[in-house]
Amino acid sequence: MMAYSEDQIALAAEYALGTLDAEERVQAETMMSADKEFAAMVEAWQHKLGVLNQMVGSVEPRPEVWNKIKSAISLSEAQAALVLPEAPPPAAPEIVEPSPVADTSNVIKLSVQARRWRNLATFATAIAAALIAMIAVGVYQPDLLPEAIRPKPRTQVVEVKIPSAPTSRSAQYVAVLQKEGGAPAFILTVDAATRNFTVRKVGASAEPGKSFELWLISDKLPRPRSLGVIGNSDFTARPVLASYDNDVINNATYAVTVEQAGGSPDGVPHSAPVFTGKLIETVPLAAPAPAPAR
Amino acid sequence: MLTPAELVWLIAAVAKGDEAAFERLYAATRAKLFGVVLRILRRQDLAEEVIQETYVKIWSSAGQFNPGLSSPITWMASIARNRAIDIVRKRGELSIEEEPAAMEVAADSPDPLARREMTEELKRLLECVGRLEPDRQKLVLLAYYNGWSREQLAAKFETPVNTVKTWLRRSMMDIRECLGL
Repeated sequence: MMAYSEDQIALAAEYALGTLDAEERVQAETMMSADKEFAAMVEAWQHKLGVLNQMVGSVEPRPEVWNKIKSAISLSEAQAALVLPEAPPPAAPEIVEPSPVADTSNVIKLSVQARRWRNLATFATAIAAALIAMIAVGVYQPDLLPEAIRPKPRTQVVEVKIPSAPTSRSAQYVAVLQKEGGAPAFILTVDAATRNFTVRKVGASAEPGKSFELWLISDKLPRPRSLGVIGNSDFTARPVLASYDNDVINNATYAVTVEQAGGSPDGVPHSAPVFTGKLIETVPLAAPAPAPAR
Repeated sequence: MLTPAELVWLIAAVAKGDEAAFERLYAATRAKLFGVVLRILRRQDLAEEVIQETYVKIWSSAGQFNPGLSSPITWMASIARNRAIDIVRKRGELSIEEEPAAMEVAADSPDPLARREMTEELKRLLECVGRLEPDRQKLVLLAYYNGWSREQLAAKFETPVNTVKTWLRRSMMDIRECLGL
């Protein structure tokens, strides 16, 4: 096993033991989705400790439980069937006239060089620092956002439901949207096959009368594109990425701004990005099961 | 209970969408998984919800099971247990005082197994846990079996949360060394 710090080893062990608090659990899960070896370390702990369950007595659940499981899986099958037949992606959205806003390509180029960070935390912090500064200065007027309306970097953890993926084998991409040096505020997950995305809110709450809005910023597009307002529910799932091509989706910067309640009225962001991040590919959790022995 | 090899076979079939295999897998494992989550959640309704979510997840991610890394029952129980822990952590943060009674009930220890029924892996782990100081053995086992938070453990051991934090970390590191992880 490679060299992890004692803190990371303890995080993996205590995740498996179950003694982390809700916030630390989200951190551990984020690391698991970004770092295959860390995930393997957690699995090893789960396996080592899992033998303790041999001593737990069995208890029969009521028969209704099975009926609910059965109907839940036939439901998700039906949904998957609706999404799966992948049509060729529609053309990219209409190209808008060159915007008066400064060209963002230099911002993006900076980050394109470094595609594969193994350590999510280092990655996100380094990028967020550069991007927040440069986007704020180069693209937006910095004075548009008084300190007072920026959400405080609270890390209150809300219920995070893990949406079950329609197909277990398609590649998943994840972006952790955070402030410079701050805890993750949103976790964006994109399914490569369906291009559905979900936003899990993990550490941010909008001020009263304001909404968080998610934007896609790409050097291929003249201005930030809204991906919609992030709802108050724990995660928001939307199919709107279907109209962008993979290159744009994979290389874009995702940013969250604070907008008036209900979102930007004119399709243009009105605050500097409060949380930003880029997608990284998450490695499949494990190799597929081998063919059954005969 | 089916043998681990039979369970691996069933999971492989489930990964291919075999509903009959899924039903057999459920029949073979539901009572164990329900026992595990009920201990942690202490509420029938919540435990049933977790079981439901767990099997839906098993159905959708059976292809990710790697028999080289884990045994089938441990893999399934980890999914169930993680979900249960997530729920108690979130409820715990709302109000820890809400259920002092539950802490009393939860102090009992799980079924002792006859030594000859234990797997080698379990014997080895228990040997390592047994090398910890008596209080810390209890701490680790209560954390695992009952899903207690550091705050609950601190209350039980009448010690500050930070001390519990240090003990837990130290204990896990000791276990790690003992197991040669």
